[in-house]
Amino acid sequence: MEDFLVILLKVAAIYGGVIGTAALYTLAERKVAAWIQYRIGPNRVGPWGLLQPLADGVKFIFKEELVPAGANKLLFRLAPMMSAVPAMLTIAVVPFAGDMTLFGVDTFGAIAKIDMSAFYVVAIGGLGVYGIILGGWSSNSKYSLMGGLRASAQMVSYELSLLLGILSIVVVSGSADLYDIVDAQSGAIWRWNAFQQPLAFGLFVIATFAETNRHPFDFAECEPELVAGFHTEYSSMKFALFFLGEYCAMIVMASLTTTFFLGGFEVPFWADAPWVIQLAAFGAKTAFFLFLFLWVRWTLPRFRFDQLMSLGWKVMLPLSLLNVFLYGALTSFGAFGD
Amino acid sequence: MVIVKRKELSLRERLYLPEVVRALSFTFRALFKRKITRQYPEEGLPVTEVTRGQPRLTLLEDGENLACVSCGLCEAACPAYAITIDGQETDRFIEREPERFEIDMLRCILCGFCEEACPKDAIFMSDELELADFTREALIYDIDKLKRPKAALQKRIDYFYKVNDRWRKPSSTS
Repeated sequence: MEDFLVILLKVAAIYGGVIGTAALYTLAERKVAAWIQYRIGPNRVGPWGLLQPLADGVKFIFKEELVPAGANKLLFRLAPMMSAVPAMLTIAVVPFAGDMTLFGVDTFGAIAKIDMSAFYVVAIGGLGVYGIILGGWSSNSKYSLMGGLRASAQMVSYELSLLLGILSIVVVSGSADLYDIVDAQSGAIWRWNAFQQPLAFGLFVIATFAETNRHPFDFAECEPELVAGFHTEYSSMKFALFFLGEYCAMIVMASLTTTFFLGGFEVPFWADAPWVIQLAAFGAKTAFFLFLFLWVRWTLPRFRFDQLMSLGWKVMLPLSLLNVFLYGALTSFGAFGD
Repeated sequence: MVIVKRKELSLRERLYLPEVVRALSFTFRALFKRKITRQYPEEGLPVTEVTRGQPRLTLLEDGENLACVSCGLCEAACPAYAITIDGQETDRFIEREPERFEIDMLRCILCGFCEEACPKDAIFMSDELELADFTREALIYDIDKLKRPKAALQKRIDYFYKVNDRWRKPSSTS
């Protein structure tokens, strides 16, 4: 019984935390955008504008719900959910902290601990693109369709680099369990995969931007050409759900980058830190990547679509393959055995 | 026809990543720069010597009666037909004063023609710039809303005479 309650508590804490972070993240986006442009940003609702996400939510609820004529009604309604749910499912296996004891129950800092979690993450995370493609197709609008098409082409191209980056981590760590991957990076700071495999780290981060449809790769939206891309026809809470899905996906990607490359919840040189400190370390590392998403968005202009494709297939993919072969060979010759 | 010669990019620029790092460092520094936002309702708009705001009527030195003699010149000069005047007789020395003086602030284009037309220095453009209300009727200003003590408009009056000295001699407001 107590086991069950502890699991419920963890589920509530993690999902509440992620959705709360997503809400604050929308505010952070607007704040960082403003600061980079020498502006102040939203500061009217609550202290420092902290209640702005709440005000946005209220606004979305009162907006008119519109389904365009000729839209495929079922898929049109399904698409926002399909874009939000995979991000939420992925977060279930992310290790937020190591072993912990809650109310006398020994447990661990994730919702689920499964052997193949590295591949579970990719498999479920890859479903996120269906929401975008279906949203674009079912709207019965040329802009939405183009947005959806671009998103699918982009996802296919960059998922390969993402996967190969994860593969080389798995090969070196000798396990596809995220907890084992984190354990393999414990101890000194140079044991983090970011320093062990700098090439894979760079490629993974770039592919992450493409996977989450963020600048400079946000071709699914691409305002100047496609109005708003796949969500052109969406309004009210359906649009908000797409928005939530996008920000949750970014949080998931940031936490996965942390887990795979920055040692997850490990505190450098302090392998058996209490779980609160581990959680704080995880949060700090993830926050860095979340900031990176915003920082890059307000710095770089968007690529051209053919540039995106040639970067994906002619640069990222060969380099990722090279990386996998290199580290596979190094591992089989025992370079990483300890 | 214009032929634009594209600049040959150096190797560093073609590699893209060094330039990305440069751009990122620039925006990171921008995060901490001084903000130029004006927090409008709290921080007012800048009022300078030449600010030409909404027209206001000046009161005489006694602070009670308007300088206006309801001659109707400003009404005639107004290109937007924003001014409406009904005159009446008075026992005061100037013999005439407005019974009704209304400026429809929704029509007013703040051109300042009324100020130039006035022979009695009775109407001046103030430094009041804000105009907002809930009904159209509330924005048709009558005498009560328009009258200002002369001291409140003194800055504009001084500036007005400074620039107009070439063709107009100062006249008394009595």
